[in-house]
Amino acid sequence: MSSLDAYFMREVANTPRGRGVLACIQCGRCTSSCLVARVVEEHNPRKLVEMIILGLRSEVLPGPLPWYCLSCFTCLDRCPQGGDVGETMFAIRNLAVREGNIPEGIAAQAQSLFETGRVVTPSRMALINREKYGLGKEPAVNVEAVQKILRKTSFDKLIYRGP
Amino acid sequence: MKYAFFLGCLIPAREPGYENSVRKIASELGIELEEMEGANCCAPFSIQSVDYISWLALAARNLCIAENMGLDILTLCNDCYESLLMTNTMLKEDKEIRNKVNEILADVGLEFKGKTNVKIFSDALYEDIGLEKVKNAIKEPFNGLRVAVQPGCHLTKPKRIHFAELAAAAALDDLVEATGAKSITYERKESCCGGPLRGVNDEVALHIAKQKLDGVKAAGADCIVTVCPFCYFELDMGQLEIKRHLNEEHNLPVLHFAELLRMAMGMKLEDWEVRAHRIPLTKILDMKEVK
Repeated sequence: MSSLDAYFMREVANTPRGRGVLACIQCGRCTSSCLVARVVEEHNPRKLVEMIILGLRSEVLPGPLPWYCLSCFTCLDRCPQGGDVGETMFAIRNLAVREGNIPEGIAAQAQSLFETGRVVTPSRMALINREKYGLGKEPAVNVEAVQKILRKTSFDKLIYRGP
Repeated sequence: MKYAFFLGCLIPAREPGYENSVRKIASELGIELEEMEGANCCAPFSIQSVDYISWLALAARNLCIAENMGLDILTLCNDCYESLLMTNTMLKEDKEIRNKVNEILADVGLEFKGKTNVKIFSDALYEDIGLEKVKNAIKEPFNGLRVAVQPGCHLTKPKRIHFAELAAAAALDDLVEATGAKSITYERKESCCGGPLRGVNDEVALHIAKQKLDGVKAAGADCIVTVCPFCYFELDMGQLEIKRHLNEEHNLPVLHFAELLRMAMGMKLEDWEVRAHRIPLTKILDMKEVK
């Protein structure tokens, strides 16, 4: 039996993009709209919101549950309550990252962003080819400005700590 | 028409042919593309998942660069579009969050004023250039080509920021049909390609891509046409992975919409651009030869 956290719903609702949980009536339209739910039994947006309402913080945040959503926003458009489940997923992920739960692929993109200003960086070959194809140099990123912003928001502290 | 040209990360790194086609079409239709000096990544899904305020500040920095140029932004990617459009809409509407973001941007000498609009290539063509002008530029139509259009999620969703949800999808269909091709209906046309889960949960991503491709195949399409570089990558590269891991072959060529339009405008693809497609374009190129 996992421990309950009576304040979890409020914590999620107070996270930016998390307010939608307060509107949920557990109708399940999100789950029936969800492509991933048809492939992965474990992923059930309605149930996830239920778990938040029940205060199952220790079951929601550490595991894979925050990371199945495609952010396709189908559920968001279909929610009869304007409950924004697709948005709530971002709130849960923001909280999960603060608990050290960040998939490798996401961390790699975030670190690349901090170091180069881009989530995907071109290979040397791609850069050589650009010039060969007449596309000119790749537009340069102002990395200094990016890092200034991300240090101010403490983004770097979130992505460089291990689980 | 003149735009602040937002290239994003994926296109210059992996899909230069897409950029090349857009530049060729733009110069033909009299669209000027002004580089955005120092612009950073749009801060997509992956970054939004890590931290909310970092996302808004980074996206807003790009919006400020366009504001200072006095131009609207032109994006070529659904993810860039979603991130920049959502940030632009939120900061215009919500004073509290705008102040918070501006406090961060002050450190890099910028301020969000809400003076730019964000457009994606297909919308810019449809709304600013006009379907008639596009139609008039067609020299070698793709008569008889059956196209499965993949609009991608963030061309139309969420409704809250895309005031004309259905109009955007219909505009893309009209643009594709302007090339002489037929935009066919197929199962799950509006659904996701699976791409966002690539690198997070590859197996799930591939299964979702497969469902999409099954629908396209069943509808008897000759090819898939995408507007988003992530959809393109997932559906093109994905077919090789599906063949390897799930032992199923779809063999559906995938084209960027800009490539389809460019060819219909009478501008051939270069060899390097043809070779970049993992599912060969032979069928479509042969059709162009025979006409």
